[in-house]
Amino acid sequence: MTEALGSTATPERGRPEDQTSPSRRGKRKKKGPLGRMGTFYRQIIAELRKVVWPKRNDLVTYTTVVIVFVVVIIAFVSVLDLGFAKLVEWVFG
Amino acid sequence: MLTAFARAFKTPDLRKKLLFTLGIMVLFRLGAHIPVPGVDFEAVMFCVDETKSSTGLFALVNLFSGGALLQLTIFALGIMPYITASIILQLLTVVIPRLEALKKEGQAGQAKITQYTRYLTIALGVLQATGLVATARNGSLFQSCRRANEIVPDGSLFRITMMVITMTAGTAVIMWLGELVTDRGIGNGMSILMFVSIAAGFPGALWAIKQQGEIAGGWGEFIAVCAIGLAMVGLVVFVEQAQRRIPVQYAKRMIGRRSYGGTSTYIPLKVNQAGVIPVIFASSLLYIPALLVQFTEDKTSGWALWIQEHLVAGDDPIYISSYFLLIVFFAFFYVAITFDAEEVADNMKKYGGFIPGIRAGRPTAEYLAYVLNRITWPGSLYLGLIALVPTVALVLFNADQNFPFGGTSILIIVGVGLETVKQIESQLQQRNYEGFLR
Repeated sequence: MTEALGSTATPERGRPEDQTSPSRRGKRKKKGPLGRMGTFYRQIIAELRKVVWPKRNDLVTYTTVVIVFVVVIIAFVSVLDLGFAKLVEWVFG
Repeated sequence: MLTAFARAFKTPDLRKKLLFTLGIMVLFRLGAHIPVPGVDFEAVMFCVDETKSSTGLFALVNLFSGGALLQLTIFALGIMPYITASIILQLLTVVIPRLEALKKEGQAGQAKITQYTRYLTIALGVLQATGLVATARNGSLFQSCRRANEIVPDGSLFRITMMVITMTAGTAVIMWLGELVTDRGIGNGMSILMFVSIAAGFPGALWAIKQQGEIAGGWGEFIAVCAIGLAMVGLVVFVEQAQRRIPVQYAKRMIGRRSYGGTSTYIPLKVNQAGVIPVIFASSLLYIPALLVQFTEDKTSGWALWIQEHLVAGDDPIYISSYFLLIVFFAFFYVAITFDAEEVADNMKKYGGFIPGIRAGRPTAEYLAYVLNRITWPGSLYLGLIALVPTVALVLFNADQNFPFGGTSILIIVGVGLETVKQIESQLQQRNYEGFLR
């Protein structure tokens, strides 16, 4: 079904940007590089507003879990290092 | 929540994977302590002690190899050659049509590219090992140490070749260990080994801060640094979890007498879709000029001096800005490689999915690219800033700039930690346990 729709109404080639932001259509030629950067900046802000930021609760859980995990691994590696350093010193020193 | 860790160990399948990963870590650290044959162990230890807070050519690489580099052990080169090789191949895939064709071939082609990566790793390993052994022999590895010339007592060709071969073999073993972890363990092997190397440097560095500090016998600085570290962990987790959700609606269709689909889901586009890879790529690329300097006989020639002045020290403006630009570049590059908007749009079309308000096919791909482009800008700037802010701050406070709590290591540690924990979590959930992250 969707294919049939797509084939009858393929977008015009050559102006792909206008497809994605119809609001800019026609205005583009008037704007200089600064104006275009302004639009781009506003689009970035618009997209950022739609971002789902983590809730406070999730954030705390994730942070704690990551910290616990990292601390455990660091402790594990430190113990290993201490042991191996002693061992190597005993063998080669 | 913490009982989830215990529960992870109770699941037989997961326990096997976790123990396997831990076992690989043990082997990796063991290799990082065994000295290469032909090296005077005592002299090396003496020099490492003497130049503990080194800020030279090798400080960052030493950090990435978990302290193994300066000790001239069999794993001295660490995971870096493998990472550099995979970056180079990924860059080449874009440039060379033959490689691109291989990539599009699917599994078999990918296997071939992996094989090329391995060859390149060995080549880089030989190069780097030669450089390292040469600097160790002429005593410039530890410039301020008075026993520096005794490190390699016998400089005959046979001995030197043996050392180079040993280190290269070590690199190959590390590469194999990494691939084993990816295959049979938890997480991505390359990142896990990188993580372990950086983790190995943490306690010593923290202790050094306490020793050097002045407020309340050093505890003031110690606590301050820990607090900053925790805050940064929180920030990184925050951005890492942020998603732009693009709604996708699936068309309902009847097959026989049952109806399928008709559900609505979303495509999660992370603000930082590229993860920590850009940071790793950028820092290993920036190391290449320093590597080149190692090879030149004449370290006082113009370009060598320029590199040592501007591209080695972490506080030089040129270093900082090129690091930042590289991170931004690689963020976009990596997103472009890993997320193919055309392919996603194609798949959606195949299964009767569409984004409400946008036609299936090319417009969908364009819309995805549009959103991804705009969301990656803040993402890449965040990556660059996080990686640099601690460096800049430390320079301002006149602290040791090769301090392992720098943004790069925090990003890698937290990124890899988060990724790994999530993988454990999803495996727990497969077995109907509630994971840690309720």
